[in-house]
Amino acid sequence: MKYKSHKIAMNFFTFAVLLFLVQVIIGLVAAVQFIKPDFFFFAFNISRTLHINALVVWLLCGLMGATYYVVPEESGRELWSIPLAQFQFWATVVTVLVVVVGYIIMGLFPQANITVFGTLLLNEGREYIEAPRWADIMIAVSAILFLINNAMTMFKSKKITGIMGTLLGGMLFLTLMYLPGMFYTSSMVKDQYWWWWVVHLWVEGAWEVIAGALLAFMLMKLTNAPRQMLEKWMYIEVALVLFTGMLGIGHHYYWIGTPNYWLWVGGIFSSLEPIPLLVMVWDALRVTKDTRSTTNKLGLFLATAHAIFNFLGAGLWGVIHTLPSVNKWTHGTQITTAHGHLAFYGAYVLLIIAMVYITVPEMRGVKEYRMSRGYRSFWWQTVSMIMIVFIITGAGMVQTYMERLLGLDYVTVKNNFNTWFWIWRAVFGVTYIIGVCMFVYDFFKIGKEPVTATLSESKA
Amino acid sequence: MGNKGVRNLFVFGSFLCFVVLVILTVNTFSQLDSRAPKITEEVDLGKQLWHKYDCIGCHTIFGNGSYFAPDMTKITEKVPKSYLKKFLVNPRKVNPSAAMPVLGITDDEADKLIAFLEWTSKVDTNGWPPKPVLGSKASGGGTGNVAYEKNNCSSCHIIDGVGGTSGPDITHVALRHPDPQWHRKHLDNPASITPDSAMPPYAQLSDDEKNQLIDFLLTLK
Repeated sequence: MKYKSHKIAMNFFTFAVLLFLVQVIIGLVAAVQFIKPDFFFFAFNISRTLHINALVVWLLCGLMGATYYVVPEESGRELWSIPLAQFQFWATVVTVLVVVVGYIIMGLFPQANITVFGTLLLNEGREYIEAPRWADIMIAVSAILFLINNAMTMFKSKKITGIMGTLLGGMLFLTLMYLPGMFYTSSMVKDQYWWWWVVHLWVEGAWEVIAGALLAFMLMKLTNAPRQMLEKWMYIEVALVLFTGMLGIGHHYYWIGTPNYWLWVGGIFSSLEPIPLLVMVWDALRVTKDTRSTTNKLGLFLATAHAIFNFLGAGLWGVIHTLPSVNKWTHGTQITTAHGHLAFYGAYVLLIIAMVYITVPEMRGVKEYRMSRGYRSFWWQTVSMIMIVFIITGAGMVQTYMERLLGLDYVTVKNNFNTWFWIWRAVFGVTYIIGVCMFVYDFFKIGKEPVTATLSESKA
Repeated sequence: MGNKGVRNLFVFGSFLCFVVLVILTVNTFSQLDSRAPKITEEVDLGKQLWHKYDCIGCHTIFGNGSYFAPDMTKITEKVPKSYLKKFLVNPRKVNPSAAMPVLGITDDEADKLIAFLEWTSKVDTNGWPPKPVLGSKASGGGTGNVAYEKNNCSSCHIIDGVGGTSGPDITHVALRHPDPQWHRKHLDNPASITPDSAMPPYAQLSDDEKNQLIDFLLTLK
């Protein structure tokens, strides 16, 4: 390891990868519960909460791991405080595990979610941010320690690169935007208004800024493209992300009880949101084509795949139902689920996987590593995810037609007309898990196996 | 434009967008209270219970949530409150095939949850969810029977795959209950025949309407 600080990055990556496996296994449980609700020992709400919370936490840990790699690398020095980073890591792990135990207890005994000091003890009952208030505070403290440590490292080095500054700016924005989710309001309209600040300004704001910075970093590591040029395009991309995404939040304010001018604001700005994602694709393809210089073909392949699927999932699958005239019919249907799956896969899952394949070989001190399993894992995951997304989109179209246009009952459509969609989704959930298992196994093996040229590698 | 210029554009441009968002937020909040009924203590307690039981983990509200179970925004307009209360307290007793588990909700808690859901049903949501444009037949049951459609029976009952799942499927109800007197009694007071029935009484219907409905139900074999 070039820097001792990279041990922290490895810790975060390891925890992230293990949580990824948990996320997809529990996702399969939730998929089966669509067909047979009583199949597991706790109800769907708990499996869904675990599925999504594990996703958010492992991606956050992946982003933190990536930052702990990038900041020493960019600043040319160790972290300001390695013990502080170690403490932050273990505090995060313990908090997450206690929260998970709490969710499971609630699944077994719904009445256990009692109110303590004015807040719910086990589950706040708010989608995506179910973690109870005490855990919110721990997560915020963890994020602040993380920010302080990285910011101090940056200032000590007296060399603040564009990538590093943007990365930390994104992390600061992410931390600040967690705060609007940390208070109670008696109006459900206001509740959802602030809740979207957290959810939307995270995934379509702060996280995309971080993704833009990491894409520039990955391209810099893997190509000969000059930093000056990469950082310039990074600024253009993240600027467009926030110019469109900040007011693009309006597409969540169409139907929740907010004034109808949001139909215009949301419609216009969210229609523009795919543009920066398309620029990222163009940037990645152009740089890769013109200045390719690496032996880490898999890393470059994944970085480019991330850019492409970010555009397809977050951009294209979002924009198809973002206009108010369409969204009025599709809002709250499985079409949103399809968009969510492909967007998270492309924008963030592939981003972290790419970062793993680019940084872990270096941290393990190898120049080359066996790539075949990484390619196989990618294709198992990608084909399965594409199938899952098509299947759920189909279910959403049937639901939109039968429930929204014809007026049939929700449960009737779900149970009588969409059953085969749920079955096929579960089948491709299994194949997705196979791909993730390959990745998790490979994570522990990268750089530890002899490099042998395989058919899939030489083809790639 | 050099890197510094683009960076400044990013920083200050984003800040400007954020300021616009804050201004719109202030304006929005100045209008929200007039777009929804007053929040009583009962509504607030109901909302707290909504969170306590993690209802969003399966349902959606204002279309946001988990897509596993029906949207709750306008539920009090769709099903009778008496039914809703019984269902919340023990869904499996009302409908053995219900996916909703028994959460231990008390009568008092159910009242508060219903008060909260009644509040959400009256929020001005810019016309969402829309009325089904193709659905006058299907959503009314498509039976062609005026009394059946007028009383919105299909919001709870299914005939030939069309209708709601809150009540039993009545595609073949005449085979189970061929006696018109049974249906008359059942319509007047469902609990007098099925003690745990969550169906509200329809004694208020005129004799003509009742006869028309019973004649129709007896054709369902």
